[in-house]
Amino acid sequence: MRKTIVLLALIVSALATGAFAAIDTIAVDVGISVFKTIPLGMVPFEEKKGITWDEEKPHQILTRDANLSGRFDVVASDKFNLALFSRNHAEYYVTGKVEPKAGGLLRVECYLYVSKSKDLMLGESYTVSQKDLRRAMHAFFDQVTKRLCGERGVASTKLAYVSKIEGVKQVVVSDYDGFHRTQITRDSSISMMPVWTLGNKGLVYVNFKTNRPRLYTKKFGRSEQPLFTQFDQTYSPAVNPKTGELLFSSTKDGKTDLYVGNMETGKARKFAYLKSNQTSPAWSPYATEVLFTSDRGGGPQIFVMGKDGSDMRRVTFMGRYNERASWSPSGDRIVYTSMDNGKMNIYTCALDGSDIMQLTSNAGNNEHPTWSPDGKLIAFSSNRSGSYQIYIMRFDGANVTRITQGGENTSPTWSWFYEDNSQTTKEGAK
Amino acid sequence: MKNIAKYAIITCAACLAIVGCAKKEPPKTEPTTEPAPAAEAAAPEQPALNADSLAAEQARLEAERLEAERARLEALINQIMSEDVYFDFDRFELTEKAKELLAQVGELLIKEKRFTLTIEGHTDARGTEDYNFTLGAKRAMKVKEFLAAYGIENERMESVSYGKEAPKAQGENEEAYSQNRRANFRVNIKQ
Repeated sequence: MRKTIVLLALIVSALATGAFAAIDTIAVDVGISVFKTIPLGMVPFEEKKGITWDEEKPHQILTRDANLSGRFDVVASDKFNLALFSRNHAEYYVTGKVEPKAGGLLRVECYLYVSKSKDLMLGESYTVSQKDLRRAMHAFFDQVTKRLCGERGVASTKLAYVSKIEGVKQVVVSDYDGFHRTQITRDSSISMMPVWTLGNKGLVYVNFKTNRPRLYTKKFGRSEQPLFTQFDQTYSPAVNPKTGELLFSSTKDGKTDLYVGNMETGKARKFAYLKSNQTSPAWSPYATEVLFTSDRGGGPQIFVMGKDGSDMRRVTFMGRYNERASWSPSGDRIVYTSMDNGKMNIYTCALDGSDIMQLTSNAGNNEHPTWSPDGKLIAFSSNRSGSYQIYIMRFDGANVTRITQGGENTSPTWSWFYEDNSQTTKEGAK
Repeated sequence: MKNIAKYAIITCAACLAIVGCAKKEPPKTEPTTEPAPAAEAAAPEQPALNADSLAAEQARLEAERLEAERARLEALINQIMSEDVYFDFDRFELTEKAKELLAQVGELLIKEKRFTLTIEGHTDARGTEDYNFTLGAKRAMKVKEFLAAYGIENERMESVSYGKEAPKAQGENEEAYSQNRRANFRVNIKQ
């Protein structure tokens, strides 16, 4: 009798969870999504004579920004074409004018119009060299995003990642679209795991120059400083988005714990006293909670706890290897990496571990996801092309675009928003 | 293990036997070998001073002895550094084979008190950098614990994790992976 009840209970629960189980195992096909993008008309800029183009033209840069943004779909047209725009529901379009100026500079006027009425919604002008044109166009595109979506875009943000240069992993920084790459570390030993300090003033990363993983920080244009040298091996840095404090892993005698410390004073304390090993910490957007990985169940699984180290809960239950979670900027989902049959793939789920979505599949290893600061995109590294390169996809796995070429590029970390426009060359609307 | 000791003794004896003969090898850059040619050069100039040539001969013998000792230690260090301990995927328990090998290393360390050891833990290329650091650390620690239980002082050993950053074999196949899931040693000589 008792057995039948248990059996019945099992069957009932199986039926009840059937729907969830189905969702758990179904991969979301790339390119099929319920997320609605905004069609945006794009017309090449009117050019005055005398410009020899070495770099991409304004509308080409803007088209790439729009397609990468995860918010827009470009409706390209050689000239203004209302029939085409209305057929594709492009209620707005972008175009402009370019003229050459003394000293090899370009004066670029950028406009956002309403397709039907040709009313001007936004106009900006920039006087830049061809080399700086990209950044100016990124700045304009962020204005377009602000105007049409009411949110900040990420066209002016950057990525830090690891690039193998002459056989050694070095930390580099580039614009979010992979252009303007700058090498940050120049060591003969491995550098890795870069993250951005607050205000995008510099990076924290790991280097092996002392024959062990150890954290260092470097403000851009300044010299490198070792961090928390009272610890033996330190890695997995995570910058508190509110205070700038650093949460990190430290290994001593085979045991790995989380510590939190002040990078200015060098003082640090243990974040949580746990019997298991912990690594890969990540702050929630308001720094009230922390995601991390623990091996308490044998393999790695993702847990969450309060910023005081209390109220620990397990988040992931599906699969035996779930690692390196990070919180979406809006705070409603996490992205993480899961290993299945020896292959790494990227998943997102709700904060309680439900509503799992597989974002990558059947394309080599896909690792190290990092959210764009607007939460619309995820950058990651993948060896789907044979070598490891950096890719950007939308938060739902659609629209995968490769942004690095050649060599080996891994472990991207997206910058924060830039608080001022000092890195752009905006001249102001006229 | 006995073989190694024997080999070392034979190497020693062989070196001593060569002492009598003139040095045929080109001069080495090792500082310990420098006194020998200098003494040889000095000897023919003052054949009358027997005491001096005796001292020179002794210095030469001493240099040869040091050189032999250095070679012997070097051979031992190379032996320890080539003894990699392998692990199963995402595991850090020592296999029987690993234990046999570690016992040999332990024996060497008991004999050579001046040796200190850095134990490096490694993983294969699969998985995240972060978790692989913790896994490498656990592997290195398991090796350290074994050697400590074997009788090696803890102060003589440190464990370091390299995660997946220092693979021995390249490639994305089980053959390479199994070579890379390892702990290896770096030997230092305490001065």
